[in-house]
Formats: sequence, C-alpha cells, structure tokens
Amino acid sequence: MEWLNNIGAWFNSIGAWFVGLWNQFYTTMIVDDRYLQIVWGLGNTLTITVCAILMGIVIGTIVAMIKAKVFSPRNAVLKAVVKILDVIGSIYLTVIRGTPMILQLMIMYFLILTNISNGVTIACIAFGINSGAYVAEVIRTGILSVDKGQMEAGRSLGLTQTTTMFKIIFPQALKNVLPALGNEFIALLKETSVAGYIGIHDLTKGSDIIRTTTYDSFTPLISAGIVYLVLVVGLTSLLGCLERRLRKSDIR
Amino acid sequence: MISVKNLEKAFGENKVLCGIDQEIQKGEKVVIVGPSGSGKSTFLRCLNLLELPTGGEIWFEGNNITDPKCDINKLRQKMGMVFQHFNLFPHLTVKKNITLAPVHLKLMSQKEADETAMQLLARVGLAEKADAYPNQLSGGQKQRIAIVRALAMKPDVMLFDEPTSALDPEMVGEVLQVMKQLADEGMTMVVVTHEMGFAREVATRVLFMDQGKVLEEAPPEEFFAHPKNARLQDFLSKVL
Repeated sequence: MEWLNNIGAWFNSIGAWFVGLWNQFYTTMIVDDRYLQIVWGLGNTLTITVCAILMGIVIGTIVAMIKAKVFSPRNAVLKAVVKILDVIGSIYLTVIRGTPMILQLMIMYFLILTNISNGVTIACIAFGINSGAYVAEVIRTGILSVDKGQMEAGRSLGLTQTTTMFKIIFPQALKNVLPALGNEFIALLKETSVAGYIGIHDLTKGSDIIRTTTYDSFTPLISAGIVYLVLVVGLTSLLGCLERRLRKSDIR
Repeated sequence: MISVKNLEKAFGENKVLCGIDQEIQKGEKVVIVGPSGSGKSTFLRCLNLLELPTGGEIWFEGNNITDPKCDINKLRQKMGMVFQHFNLFPHLTVKKNITLAPVHLKLMSQKEADETAMQLLARVGLAEKADAYPNQLSGGQKQRIAIVRALAMKPDVMLFDEPTSALDPEMVGEVLQVMKQLADEGMTMVVVTHEMGFAREVATRVLFMDQGKVLEEAPPEEFFAHPKNARLQDFLSKVL
C-alpha cells in the first residue's frame, strides 16, 4: 500500500503548491485592491491600441494610395500636387520606420505636443502615426497585388478611378493582406507597453507598480503576460473570422 | 460614330501606332487582325482611352475624347469593353458584377438592374449562375458574363480585345455564338481577334494591321479571297 501513500503525498504537495500560489496571488494582487492597477492599465492599453489602429488604417490607406500611384490626373496642376504628396509620403515612411518607437513617443511628449497634458492622447497620436507607416506599406503591397485588369475593367464601365479603387481594388487588396495587417496590429498592441516611458499607466506599467510596492515580481509580471496573451489570442481569432468572411468568394 | 484621325501612340521610344485614320459607322462590325505586336490591341484600348494616345484625335458621338477637358467616364459608359482575361470582379457574385456599375452610376435602380441582369443572363444561358462567384465558372462562362456586364450599361459600341484567346478551344464556340447573336441584333462592334472564321462570317469590314499601321481594309470576302498587300498574303498563308 506504500505506492498509494506516495501518490497521496504527491497530490498533497501539488495541492500545497497551488495553495501557496493562491496565497501569494492574494497578498500581492487582491489585498488593497492592487489588481485594479492591472485593470486600469488594461483600459489605457486598449484605448491606445484601438485609437492607434484606427488612425493607422486611415493614415496608412491614404499614404498607400499616394505611394501606389493610384491617382493619375491628366491636369498639370493636380499632377504636381500628386508629385509633392508622393515626396511627403516617402519622407514620412523613411522617418517613422527609421527611428525607434520610444524615441518618437518621447519626441511627441517632450517636444511637439507639449500643450496637451493628457499622456494617453499623446500616445494615441504617436502610436497612430507610427502604425500608419507600417500599415501604408502593407496596404500598398495589397493594392499592387490586385491585377491591373481589375482597374481597367472598372474604368471601362465608366466608373471613376476613386470608385473603382474603393469598390473593386480595395476589397481584394484587403483580403490579400489581412494576415500581414493582423501581424502589424498584434505588434502594435504589444508595443504600447513602452507607453510607461511618458508616465502612462498602461498594463505593463500597472504590473510594474504592483511589483515595486509588494516586492513580488512573479505574480504581477506573469499576470500581465497572461492578459497580453489573452488579448492577442482574441485579436487573432477576430481577424480569422474576418478572413474567412472575405475568402467566401474563393470557394470553387 | 467613331472617327479616328492620325492616331499615334508611343511607349517611350517605341512607336506602337504610327498614324491611323478610321471611320467606324453605326452598325458596323469591324474586325482587326494582324500579327502580335502589330498594335491592334493598343489601337482598341486607345478607343476608350485605356491607353492615352500620344498624338492625333478620336471623336466619339460628336465629342473629341482626346481633349483633356472631355469627361471620359461619361463616354466610357457608352463603350462596352470585353477583355482577353475577362477581368470579372472575383469578390462579387455574377449578378453583382453586372449590376455594380449601372446602379452606382445611377443609371438604374437596384431592382431594374437585377431584372436587366437576369434577362441578359438568360439570353446567354447562364441565368442559374447569377449567385455564383466568378471563380466557380469556366473560362467560356466567365467571358459570356463579361459580355453581359458590358451590355448591362446599354452601350452604343462594344470593343472586344481578343475575347477568345485565353479560352480552351472547346469553349471558344460558345463565346463566339454570343458575339454573333449580338452582331445580328445590330450592335456596333470593334473586335480584335485571331478567329478568322469569325471575321469571315460576322465582319462588315476587316482591317489588317502591322507595325502600327493599317495596311489593308476590305469586306471579308475580298479580304480573304484577294488580299493585295504582300504582308497580308504572307500572314493569311500562315493562319488559314
């Protein structure tokens, strides 16, 4: 009957380990409602991510259309405008993709948007502008991946360039680059963890605050990690849903 | 209806069209043949400005469409085009492919457009494919849908750019059948093709192009029976 005792002891020790973990979690996170640091941080992380994604899509789409030479007016003045926009777009892409995110964030906070006191607003703008550059390249790739004949077919029916772009080219381009776009948004979500540099109380900062007040590193850091993981898994499945819907027309 | 005056097109140093003069009357079926690289597709694509000419003028229904001030979108509504590679919109159903332009351009309500689409689809024998996606269709079916899509705009002239060149041989017939039917109904057509049988049967006038010039034009009987130009004689001896 000794083996039964052994298994019993083994279960006991596992049980004790879980009890210990729970006690540690309780003293670190629940006492004094410290878990609120994580919840509050999560709110800011989500706000910044969602705003930046939306801004990134808008900026990225515009820059991508300029860089993919979507507009080709016959008028000389408009031609010059397009040319200038193209140069501005190139400079934007070079600067944003050529410098670190943290630096851009700090430049925004300490040099450019000094009259805005709300750090989260500044972070939304900085991350949005940053994301826009990456999204622009992804969408440009998407536009170029759509066969030239699609634009010709749209134009031959009398649709304008803009209409053809939005009704015909874009839906196909989006379908082609959705995985790459998802990648960018996942990277963005995690990159917001540097927002603590300008004193924003985001998810990472929240867990760090708990760490410094309780001297327990394990619980807050692993907790924050799990929250990020759940967010990314959620975002991934959301994008998966969207992708399946867009692929409906591929069924043969 | 279409009048082309000294049309020129160059891609950089490469001159593709070297001065073409043509008058296309209402109801005419003009078939353009010639070796590859002769500029026949470029000529056709210039007619609705998918290629911008580098010289000369094109007049369509009394408007100079080569004038930058001309609203080309308006005129393209009256010029249907069918492409070698169909260029259907793969993300839209067949019915949506057909109704998108007329509805968006406010020529028809969605209901009217749907009805027109179904009528046209029935005419080409594809009514049951209305809710299918282009990827679910064969090449011949796709091209017939592409013809219907252009017809839904109620164009005054139809341009065909090698409509059967990308098809399996056994599907060529069904597309040509639709085109013949269209010709019999009196549609003005400009067709670039390698199908000599079609040219012989349907054309009112056949043009032979080589190196950016129209070298010979004649009614099909004369064109095929008594070609005058040496280059055309050589061409016909190879393709017939």
